[in-house]
Amino acid sequence: MAVLVIKKIQHRLLAVATLASGAFAISATLVPLDAQALPLFARQTGQNCVSCHAGGQFPELTPYGRMFKLTGYTIGQRVAVPISAMGQITYAKVRDTSKSDDPQADFQKNGSPVFSGGSLFFGGKVTDNIGAFVQWTYDNYAGQRVGDSGNNDGTFQGKPSADNIDLRYADRFIDANRDLVVGVSVNNNPSVSDPWNTAAAWMQYVPAASVTSHRFADANTPFPGNSTGGNVAGINAYAYLNKMVYAELGFYQTANKGFSFMSGGVNDAGTTKLKGANNPYWRLALTHEWGAHNLMVGATGMVAHIYDDNVDTSDPNSIHRVENAGIDAQYQYILDPHTITAQVAYMRQKTNYSANTIAANAGIGSPLGFVASDGVTPLADANDSDTTNTFRAKLSYVYQAKYGGSLAYFNLTGTTNTESQSSGYDPVTGTIASTDPLGLGSILSTRVGGNLSGNPATRGFTYEAFWMPVQYVRVGAQYTAYNKFNGASDNYDGLGRNARDNNTLFFYVWGAY
Amino acid sequence: MKKTLLPLLAGLAVIASGCSNLERSRDLANPNVPAAVTAMQVCSNCHGIDGNSVSPNFPRLAGQQTAYLVAQLQHFRSHERADPPGFVYMWGISHHLTDDQIKGLAEYFAKQVPKPNAPGDAQQMAAGKEIYEKGVPEQNVIACAACHGPKAQGIEAFPRLAYQHADYIVKQLDIFQHTQGRPGTPMEAITHPLTGENKQAIAAYLQAFPD
Repeated sequence: MAVLVIKKIQHRLLAVATLASGAFAISATLVPLDAQALPLFARQTGQNCVSCHAGGQFPELTPYGRMFKLTGYTIGQRVAVPISAMGQITYAKVRDTSKSDDPQADFQKNGSPVFSGGSLFFGGKVTDNIGAFVQWTYDNYAGQRVGDSGNNDGTFQGKPSADNIDLRYADRFIDANRDLVVGVSVNNNPSVSDPWNTAAAWMQYVPAASVTSHRFADANTPFPGNSTGGNVAGINAYAYLNKMVYAELGFYQTANKGFSFMSGGVNDAGTTKLKGANNPYWRLALTHEWGAHNLMVGATGMVAHIYDDNVDTSDPNSIHRVENAGIDAQYQYILDPHTITAQVAYMRQKTNYSANTIAANAGIGSPLGFVASDGVTPLADANDSDTTNTFRAKLSYVYQAKYGGSLAYFNLTGTTNTESQSSGYDPVTGTIASTDPLGLGSILSTRVGGNLSGNPATRGFTYEAFWMPVQYVRVGAQYTAYNKFNGASDNYDGLGRNARDNNTLFFYVWGAY
Repeated sequence: MKKTLLPLLAGLAVIASGCSNLERSRDLANPNVPAAVTAMQVCSNCHGIDGNSVSPNFPRLAGQQTAYLVAQLQHFRSHERADPPGFVYMWGISHHLTDDQIKGLAEYFAKQVPKPNAPGDAQQMAAGKEIYEKGVPEQNVIACAACHGPKAQGIEAFPRLAYQHADYIVKQLDIFQHTQGRPGTPMEAITHPLTGENKQAIAAYLQAFPD
């Protein structure tokens, strides 16, 4: 079975690699190599990256970039080869790798540069009203190969899959008295259709490889997000009036049947299953521009009904309901050679667990068998619902669209839940263990990922400096410093690991063509 | 995946082949799109629907001289005008415009009404007015008004300057003075003796241009 899966993946990989190299070859011969003509949208408009990306720092959009997106990627001319590619090389070093049960597993590739993967982009202008942004991402570290013994053999397995997909129909009714942009977006990720970079799908920007040494890099710190994540299927209608009021309403369902391309490359077990299509997403924003300044203040929300098990949607009692509500604001000052951006976003997420989960947890104390520190007293039952609050703020400055820096603060708080405890007091030994005291046989966590408190609180700062030697390459360094992780500053896993031990230095080279 | 994506792409291609919406098109390579449509659907994003751009990154075009606008668009199209804002934004925009479309765009913005701006620093504006009207004889700076007109309204190929963004004027004066980005005008020689203070003063005066 495993061999078959690997062979299937290898075939698919080969197909993508062939497609990618073919696309490069074709684009290299057919696309004129003008200095200003680089990735797909730049070729379509003939404009430089900084026209649409604030200070050149992709993916953050300028006011013009937002209008380009809202009008359906239709400005300019259709290009002959509507393909672009990007790739990243990353490096992460975690401050302390000693307090770990298995450093090799906990910090894969620590201190080694890795080719994280890359994306192919398709789309752009199709007609005067239709355009697309389709991103397929190849994750070079998507999984580990299984050796002859049946265990991971320590090597990695790459995998391509659908990433961000946004197909649009848009129209603009504009005259001296009124400017109304209306459109419909068919997309695979709630808020991927949003043109502001405080939106859940866009605030996180630098990709990190999926090796465990990258788990504390900025990309993996708390960001405001919707419960479904990507690879679902939604239809959203939106309107933007007089560059002042923006409203959007969408409904999401499982990416299956006609929408299966929205989760292409993701297997059934990895695809979120939603109940029906009554999973609404909404967005309101007010915007204002004055001089070189522009400001957006907005709110967003989503309600999703998600099956507990991605491969079993037969039981109506196995559906949990998640409500998201957020507010966000973005300020930009863009006047050559300066670009300043301030972003603030807050998201509250309430999860009401499924009837099955609640019934299973009733009266059993800690679902994993941990007890209080006296070694006897049972812990509380797992919660019927949980709430998290994610706050994030970021300030960035770019000079001459070349040299930049940013400072970000993140603070995740939430309810404590014995379900989330992955280490605790073992009733047999009376000591803190990170393995399952009920003897179910599974290792719950290594110390590095452990959570003694059952609380998700995580807080810290990310400092970043970057340089864009040319408009389509960005080289950056980030240092993420934690003062709280998994509910505590010190000894968060109960086995001696402190939040600051996770501090991570992260380098990236990010290029697009 | 392939089963659904391919018909979708095929469908989009069919739609693409027969569908253009000339009244509200943002296509910059279709010679049939009327200039006023391009002005409203595309140019307005940066320059404003009435040519009174909000951001000083983008020049005000309202009331600008038709001949000047035609020349600039042609120079963007031919890449003769190569100052950074020119090639970053305008080379691509102008790449496929026809002469008729360029003329139409110029006429569209020329007939818009320029909006005045709030006055800046009084002393700086007074200094700017002095230079604008009389030049700086001891520095061999000639009066701007000689070509751009007493009301800074411009004439033919000499652009209107009244109510223009100060930041844009300073940057363009720098380009004339220090680069070859805008060849073929007398401005390189004219701006040669200007000091930084002169440029700031002229720009402050022109942005407000009080009566």
